[in-house]
Amino acid sequence: MSTKLADSTNIIEAFGPHPAYSHGVWLDTGVEPDKVVKTHCCFCGQQCGIQLKVKDNQVIGFEPWYDFPFNQGKLCPKGIKRYLQGAHPDRLLHAYGRDATAASGFNAIPYEQAIDRVAAEINRIQSQYGPHAFAVLSGASLTTEKAYLMGKFAHACLKTSNIDYNGRLCMVSAGAGNKKAFGIDRAANPWSDILHAEVVWISGANVAECAPITTDYVWQARENGAKIIVVDPRITPIARTCDLFMPIKPGRDVALFNGILHLMIAHDWLDHDFIDRHTVGFAEVAAHVEEWTPQRTAEVTGIAEKLIHQAAEWWGTAKTSFLMHARGIEHHSHGVQNVLGAINMVLASGRLGRENCGYATITGQGNGQGGREHGQKCDQLPGGRDLGNPEHRAYVAKVWGMSPDELPPPGVDAYEIFRKIDAGEIRGLLSICFNPVVSLPDNNFIRRMLEKLEFFVAIDFFMNETSHYADIVLPGSLHEEDEGVVATAEGRVIKINKATEPPGEARQDWRIIQDIAQAIRRERGFAFNNSAEIFEELRQASAGGIVDYSGITYEKIERQYGVFWPCRSDDDPGTPRLFEPGAWNPIAQGKGPFYFPDGKARFNVARYTPPAEEVDREYPIMLTTGRVVSHYLSGAQTRRIGPLVDHYPEPRIEMHPLLASRLGIADGDWATVESRRGSCTLRVQVVKTIRPDTIFIPYHWAGRQSANQLTIAAQDPISKIPEYKVCAVRVKKAIQAPPEKE
Amino acid sequence: MPVPQRMEFFIDLGRCIGCQACVQACTECDTHKGQSMIQLDYLDRANSTQTVPVICMHCDSPTCAEVCPADAIKKTEDGVVQTARKPRCIACNNCVLACPFGVPKMNTPMNLMMKCDMCYDRTSVGLKPMCASVCPSQALFFGTREEIERLRPRSKPVNRFQFGGQIITTKVKMLAPKDTPADAVDITAAMYQPTIGQNILEEMLLEI
Amino acid sequence: MRREVVKAAAWGVVVTLLLASLIVLGSRNLSHFDAALVAYTFAVLFATFGLTYRYAMWLQRPPTALYWKRGWQVFFKRGYRARNIGNWFKHIFNDIVLNRFIWSRDRLRGLTHWLIMWGCILAVAITFPLVFGWLHFESLPERPEWYRVFFFGFPTFSFPSGSIFGFVIFHGLVWASFLVIAGVMLAMRRRMREEGAVALQLFAEDFLPLILLFSVSLTGLMLTASYTWMKGYAYDFLAIVHAITVIFTFLWLPFGKFFHIFQRPAQLGVRFYKDVGQHEEAAICRRCQQPFTSRMHVEDLIRVEAELGYRYEINAPGVEHYQWICPPCRRVLFALAQGKLWQGRRGGVDLGVAPPSPPAYVNPAIGEGPLGQEDKNNFHA
Repeated sequence: MSTKLADSTNIIEAFGPHPAYSHGVWLDTGVEPDKVVKTHCCFCGQQCGIQLKVKDNQVIGFEPWYDFPFNQGKLCPKGIKRYLQGAHPDRLLHAYGRDATAASGFNAIPYEQAIDRVAAEINRIQSQYGPHAFAVLSGASLTTEKAYLMGKFAHACLKTSNIDYNGRLCMVSAGAGNKKAFGIDRAANPWSDILHAEVVWISGANVAECAPITTDYVWQARENGAKIIVVDPRITPIARTCDLFMPIKPGRDVALFNGILHLMIAHDWLDHDFIDRHTVGFAEVAAHVEEWTPQRTAEVTGIAEKLIHQAAEWWGTAKTSFLMHARGIEHHSHGVQNVLGAINMVLASGRLGRENCGYATITGQGNGQGGREHGQKCDQLPGGRDLGNPEHRAYVAKVWGMSPDELPPPGVDAYEIFRKIDAGEIRGLLSICFNPVVSLPDNNFIRRMLEKLEFFVAIDFFMNETSHYADIVLPGSLHEEDEGVVATAEGRVIKINKATEPPGEARQDWRIIQDIAQAIRRERGFAFNNSAEIFEELRQASAGGIVDYSGITYEKIERQYGVFWPCRSDDDPGTPRLFEPGAWNPIAQGKGPFYFPDGKARFNVARYTPPAEEVDREYPIMLTTGRVVSHYLSGAQTRRIGPLVDHYPEPRIEMHPLLASRLGIADGDWATVESRRGSCTLRVQVVKTIRPDTIFIPYHWAGRQSANQLTIAAQDPISKIPEYKVCAVRVKKAIQAPPEKE
Repeated sequence: MPVPQRMEFFIDLGRCIGCQACVQACTECDTHKGQSMIQLDYLDRANSTQTVPVICMHCDSPTCAEVCPADAIKKTEDGVVQTARKPRCIACNNCVLACPFGVPKMNTPMNLMMKCDMCYDRTSVGLKPMCASVCPSQALFFGTREEIERLRPRSKPVNRFQFGGQIITTKVKMLAPKDTPADAVDITAAMYQPTIGQNILEEMLLEI
Repeated sequence: MRREVVKAAAWGVVVTLLLASLIVLGSRNLSHFDAALVAYTFAVLFATFGLTYRYAMWLQRPPTALYWKRGWQVFFKRGYRARNIGNWFKHIFNDIVLNRFIWSRDRLRGLTHWLIMWGCILAVAITFPLVFGWLHFESLPERPEWYRVFFFGFPTFSFPSGSIFGFVIFHGLVWASFLVIAGVMLAMRRRMREEGAVALQLFAEDFLPLILLFSVSLTGLMLTASYTWMKGYAYDFLAIVHAITVIFTFLWLPFGKFFHIFQRPAQLGVRFYKDVGQHEEAAICRRCQQPFTSRMHVEDLIRVEAELGYRYEINAPGVEHYQWICPPCRRVLFALAQGKLWQGRRGGVDLGVAPPSPPAYVNPAIGEGPLGQEDKNNFHA
């Protein structure tokens, strides 16, 4: 850290979050928009279609886009009010340099000067400590073009191994599980396959709040006769009237899946033909689940045996089904095992790769799917290729016009980057679209590490809490200020269209990255004039890979309302449903529908291990964290939108009345939650809709309200996802409200 | 222009997930921009996540209009009960207190009752109302009779509601199970009906 | 003929006759009455009959009748009189003089209404006494360039005709028309551009009054222009056109939007009713046991609904009448009744506890929630 930190109270006063409300042109019903732009919502992986009304380079409102097939006009509150983030008083219009003596903690500086400073620091750190001493953190809310460019920037320009992205906190367990079982990381089915499934199984997904539009698909399935099974420690709105609700103890999902598979085998509710022809490894898995009797499953999961029997029977005997899961089973130190357990259940049923038979993870971030495909992950190259694979390195190096040897070896995950800062291996950091001070677990450690950096540059459109630690903040672009593609939770590649120009000195993120590349005189391969040119290169770089975009064009996306990848040629309409019998892929070369050389899916033994931190006498309560419907990720955007702030103004501790009465806490009281890593004082909401041994805190807030002061940095050994969904805490009634200021 | 006859409003409260998309979208309606007319309540948050979104049901003989001393509430020929006419409304609160569904709101500083007018600016030009357009659970649905029959094969629309000795017939339809025998939904019979949902404690928990 | 019609017609006749006799009296047996204005006089007399008739019909509607009665009762209620008189001045000033409630809808709308209202009040204050012969000017015999003002036949002050004061007085209608025309322009602009207004407006209800006000003002101005600068060019024709517009406006008074001028003061009565109600016993919801409005208001509504033929009585013990249920509980009942129909078909069991807990508004913020303190009280937000 080169200069002293400014007082965060002053920074917040100057840069927000300030909640914005509709006024002026936003309320005037007499204003005719100059244009109406068809694009998508920036919040969450469903990427609902929306039309933005634009007047004088300002988004003044929206109009439902009824023709877009996924959501047909439907939107959640975040999408409805997203227009308030444009023309926002907190919007960064200049580059800023940190100056603890300035009233706001930062001084506006000319953009060119800021870029030169960044370039000088990159050069200094890399020449002094080696190329890997400068790390890059990126995000999965960027368009795929930007995500691709970030990967290329780190690997081909900075030549550092150390790039990773915030999807590490989100989708990686599902991705790793899918790659191990299917050889490909994408939702196997479009959501339309939910509609006529006989059983819809939802594990660890608060669909109503985190993927609200999916609700209509689930209810529509019920209209068509489906049974809805929900597994969750909380009675979420979708769980309230589901047909079977299993209130599982946080972190025990794989035990339940194994228990169900045990019963499927015991009753021979198996698709032997499918298992024989399309899978390998069933015998080992069958042997492993033998010990998962209903009794043991019930003991571990905290779910009554009769419910487990009921679920197994419905799942086992169904003709069609759809299994969905989300962060609830993935945010664990054994998240991949949970995912594999779920996949085993699906594979044993044989209900995959057919109409109305499906499996999917509900991707959380705006471009959660596309952001994890083209090279901004620590071990990845475009097209879903591996940085550790010599053939893959050779292919991509050729596209990038360099020698494969120049490419760095695979790096480490986002959390490990901070541990390397601790170890002194990383000295400089560039962060874009990432707010680790709010979103990473044990964030008191993260703060210390950011302070320790020699140089930190952040690119963002608002001053998020992580940027408080930045030496230089560069003004990036909002979602509506750039064009590009993203891939939705379904694997549908869609097009974000530009509605407005970036204001002031702000500019499109890819331009900023190119400006930096130029300033450090490594501009080769960073001379794109627009997003379309980046996409053209991305198509080439992905061609022949698993994540093949080579047949996708902007024009085809508009014509077809999106293109499901893989799409391998101009006349390929895309692949809405994976693993259909007879489907071709570059790995199996026609031997089968799955992405392995033999074309067969893999059963993987899914082992149960308890959460990294079990409850004990000292910390007797389980804490689980998650989202609320009106906020998105670290809240850098939604905490600035007034109506969304009003909707859910501050985090509350959800607690069962049994636990509350034992602790002497009443509804509305303040309580302090403590873990081994930190503590947090919040208001309590006493509700019967949560397990009595578990409390819930949403994670969208910063500073003293941040739930991630408490969470544990234990990570899955395979996916490196942190264990946000369970840690041990103790709770006591607080005498008074916490101080207002930081 | 009147609202097309074939387009009807159907509500299925059991689908509601309380996400407030309707509440937020309602503020985008041009006839009352910036203010939401949807009433969305937690029935009993301590026990359940159940929520109820209420839009104006547009009664055939609207109690609100009948009890209005200023004769300010008018129904258009297409059966839409409009918000109070601004020059007339004297903000007496009668409509707020008399509406059997609890729909109208009182804007005290403006001396004006405001209520859902089925997004007249949209529906009168053939568009869907804001709330039904965005509703992620489609608890609020606006479309044709054929669409609802195709999409909700287990439901039948009911538009007669009983409040004690009074039957109220509405333009907006509620979805009841297909084989519901009664032709009017008895609202006041649910006076002491508890909320419905899952129960962690009694039903399924193995241990605490 | 229905009883209330006879009653209203009788009131109409009485008030019209009263005005007619006042005209005879005030103009000293028509000696100061300008015969050229006879058409105006008859139009006003007709409008008076129409307005009285409609007002009387309106007052006989059960809710209005009750409010009318209660309004006076609470105004003179023991213990509230001094306070009510103080409030009366406050409300007159805020509501009627300033139109504060309209400004809070939208500043431009406030300005629009203010211009039109004050323009009309000024014009009426000048023309009516002139037309009825209640006001006339005479030259002072000793100083012919001075005028003396006579009101209701009594002499008052005098002033020189050529003074600035005289100019202002004699052109009072010009100033009034400037105010009205500006207001009408603003109103027209809003009605033509705002989507919300466009969706709801009706020609007879919303445009006709504006057109009438505009034509009255414009033809009046043309008269002034004709005799001031054009040596009376087409004066007679303009006078007839002006008379037609004014007379039509009068005839339209009882029917359209203009009726609100006479109806609106009822707002004052409502204010006293709510103010007194707030200080008296509250109604308690018989489902959630929370207070909501005043007990008086609920009981009055029960009476009004019975008179209107509604049968919201409930047999359930301790409830009696649906009116005793607060608005949020009514919404809850609506959901519970539907849930009950689906029970056994959709998942879930009865969760309840007795007595039922009060519903809570999901978005308590004013921005998207209740629209004001009254709503907050009614909705327990």
